[in-house]
Amino acid sequence: MSKTIRKELVIPQPREQVWRAITDSATLAEWMFPNDFEPRVGHHFTFRVPAKPEAGFDGLVVGCEVLECEPPSRLVFSWSAGGPVVDTRVSFRLESVSEGTRLYFEHSGFDLSHPWAEQAVQGADYGWAGMLGKLTAMVAGLAGGGK
Amino acid sequence: MLATPNRESDVFTAISHPARRRMLDLLAVADCSVNAIAGQFKMSRPAVSQHLRVLLNSGLVTEQRHGRERRYHFVPEGLGSVREWIAQYERFWDERLQRLQKLLSKKSKE
Repeated sequence: MSKTIRKELVIPQPREQVWRAITDSATLAEWMFPNDFEPRVGHHFTFRVPAKPEAGFDGLVVGCEVLECEPPSRLVFSWSAGGPVVDTRVSFRLESVSEGTRLYFEHSGFDLSHPWAEQAVQGADYGWAGMLGKLTAMVAGLAGGGK
Repeated sequence: MLATPNRESDVFTAISHPARRRMLDLLAVADCSVNAIAGQFKMSRPAVSQHLRVLLNSGLVTEQRHGRERRYHFVPEGLGSVREWIAQYERFWDERLQRLQKLLSKKSKE
């Protein structure tokens, strides 16, 4: 039941530039969402996913905390979006390669055998099904609308 | 998805309880009677039956009569909505990381 999302991509830009794109709040907002990120361990921040009424999505606030920050190679933050997605971990690892930068992305913590799965279902304002609907609408809205 | 919101939330509720996850683990190995399941737990028979009821309602488990006893059978396809949920997140990150790539290539041309 445990599952980690892993992505690996090569970006044809130097590592410092990629690092800036994932750790500068304004740049981060351009490809993620409005946020109050700061590149220091222990900093709590949020991503505010805007509503998309046409896709039936009424917005979402994702609570995060910087867990690791080692410029220019490693950034890890927690990701709590409600429902069962509580204290999952999002990590970026950057490696300099001849073509530019290799990015190893991971989103882990979707382990449904952990106690939080139970807490999340019992204590959440909305159930998992609601979250699934929200996320589907969000992805659909994003894919359709672009920026 | 909109057609079956209740069943989906039932699945998530069903797997949210550690006892029910253990029951599913047992049933994943072999079909069991309620007595066989109850033998593995310290809780009362009615409590076991109640958990089985939740599992039945979620569609993760079916019930079959074998003579005098009923046996419970695990239906792994019922977990599809859980996998689908994670697949949504996978698509979400694909889309975001593509945006990151586009943004970086745009910035480096500027």
